[in-house]
Amino acid sequence: MGALKILIIEDDRETADFIVNGLMEEGHVAAHTANGNEGLSLATGDSFDLLLVDRMLPGLDGLQLVKLLRNAGNMTPTLFLTTLGGIDDRVSGLNAGGDDYLVKPFAFAELAARVSALGRRSRARLLETKLSVADLELDLVSRALHRNGRPIDLQPREFRLLEYLMRHAGQTVTRTMLLENVWDLHFDPHTNVVETQMSRLRCKIRKDNEPEVIHTIRGVGYCLRAHP
Amino acid sequence: MRIPKLLRTSSFRITTAYAALFSLSALILFVLVYSGTSQYMRAELNTAIASDLTELDEIFKTQGTKSLVREIQTRMRQADNDDMVYLLQDSLGDVMAGNMSPQALDTSASTFEISIHAPDGKERTVHAHGIVLPDGQRLTVGVDTFDLHEMHAVILRAFAFSFGITLLLALFGGAMMSRNLLLHVERISQTGRKIMKGNLSLRIPLRGVDDEFDHLATSLNLMLNRTERLVESIRQVSNDIAHDLRTPLTRLRQRLERTQRTEQSAEGLRTAIARSIADVDGILDTFSALLSIAQIESTTARKEVARVDLSEVLQTVVEIHQPTADEKKQHLAARIVPNLRVLGDRELITQMASNLLENAIRHSPEGASISLAGGNDENGVELVIADTGPGIPVAERGKVFRRFYRLESSRSTPGNGLGLSLVAAVAERHNATIHLEDNDPGLRVHLRFPIPTLDVSNDI
Repeated sequence: MGALKILIIEDDRETADFIVNGLMEEGHVAAHTANGNEGLSLATGDSFDLLLVDRMLPGLDGLQLVKLLRNAGNMTPTLFLTTLGGIDDRVSGLNAGGDDYLVKPFAFAELAARVSALGRRSRARLLETKLSVADLELDLVSRALHRNGRPIDLQPREFRLLEYLMRHAGQTVTRTMLLENVWDLHFDPHTNVVETQMSRLRCKIRKDNEPEVIHTIRGVGYCLRAHP
Repeated sequence: MRIPKLLRTSSFRITTAYAALFSLSALILFVLVYSGTSQYMRAELNTAIASDLTELDEIFKTQGTKSLVREIQTRMRQADNDDMVYLLQDSLGDVMAGNMSPQALDTSASTFEISIHAPDGKERTVHAHGIVLPDGQRLTVGVDTFDLHEMHAVILRAFAFSFGITLLLALFGGAMMSRNLLLHVERISQTGRKIMKGNLSLRIPLRGVDDEFDHLATSLNLMLNRTERLVESIRQVSNDIAHDLRTPLTRLRQRLERTQRTEQSAEGLRTAIARSIADVDGILDTFSALLSIAQIESTTARKEVARVDLSEVLQTVVEIHQPTADEKKQHLAARIVPNLRVLGDRELITQMASNLLENAIRHSPEGASISLAGGNDENGVELVIADTGPGIPVAERGKVFRRFYRLESSRSTPGNGLGLSLVAAVAERHNATIHLEDNDPGLRVHLRFPIPTLDVSNDI
């Protein structure tokens, strides 16, 4: 989980401070501007690992900013932060070139988890056919899972869940991220389907004295890694 | 300035154009009839003259001049021949017989028209034809063109009269029609103005004749219906926010104030803060739900309408609520026909189905049976969610879709009362119908998606 160089383009002072301080505590490098135009030139000039962009900005609006970046060939992972939480708003944000969308107010842990996930993505090879973490081997083509050579049968949902965890191995993923990426849900169903499915998956992949690889991070989410 | 307005209407312009067109065709008709009859009558005249001449010539040839003179006199005396004129002159030009005075007859022309003084003193126009007889005599036979001119006059008068009448009628009719149009348009404008002043419940009156004006009025009225509904929706949301968010906010404030007053330990403060954050999250959730519902209600045509695999959506919905049902030891049965397709928004449909199933589970007691069935028939795709819980009394079935509406029996169960409002908004957006029925015991919710037509995205 490397430190990332992050640019925050946010005009609300308090929110910006909240985010900048939080990210620095996580070990990242954070720069901040309150103006859209300045944000655009900074993003174009320097090479940031990640951009956090507020949609409603003075000067250039967030959506426009990202569109301009994408048109210029700049593919820096971008996360929209916004009070505009409607379904259409999220869709238009993603269509403009955003990679993720977080509605204010949010728990900082949620932001931190998504930042890690996006930052990692820029370096991940998406064309992999096999994922391996610890002694787990997931074959994406044959849809087969092996642990220490032992085949494990997975239901489609369990497969998707494990795949997502493995792609974000070492990072904490939140319940919301799992609902969005494994269940395609963009609302909270207020059930513990995630917890239930997670424990079922844990049961399936762990036999006897094999070490637990799926860890619960209290108050935040889950993390798949070799060592606790 | 009423008159210019009348003349400026398109109906008046059209009428004028039509009147001009008719006038032109009437004129053409007139010219044709006039020249046609004229030619015919002249031909008739010429024939009459020619036949007379031929006969007289024949008499001259067979019986000589004296017989000719006698014949001419006989013919002149015939009563029905009084429009014929005859003249026989000798080679010197003196009159030998006839009722035509020998005016300066141009001997080189054989057919001519002249004005003569008839024996009865009247001035007449005569169409005559003359021949020269072998011994130099000149025989002229002519016909009074009075009839021809009379006929011309009659035709002319008839045309002029009808022309005038038609023109007047056209202009009058046009003016009347324009006035009618103006009145109707004015009525529509007036209704519009009254509506803008604030009376949103007014509608444009229909004339009942099912013409384009009635169609226009109907479309405008539909638009007004929608506007009224939207305005009402906004008003309702503001009211609801004020009323139903106050309660949790008040509770939050009370908790914080109580903590401030009484709590001393760091642990106690931490707990209070955690609970307060949870309260705030709950309020924000309600807020988001309200805004979602308002957004769904206000957008008619969705930009991205897609084919949604309803079967897959329902399977996911059952999956996510299974844990809760299991916890309550409820029996959740799903019967989903594969490959059910509907047109719409996948996310909204998922949320709608989730809310319905969540309601069934939440409001049914432990051990209850809940079923979810997805299928299709010739009337469209159907979703039925039934439970064996307390159900909804008939009297309240219309009200449960209102924002924040909670049945007395469920006031204590968690929830903000917005679930069904969202369901109603999404259903309406997809032109789907919802029916609440008695499951005997319990509630049965019957949701039906229509058969998609080509025009789905433009339905109001």
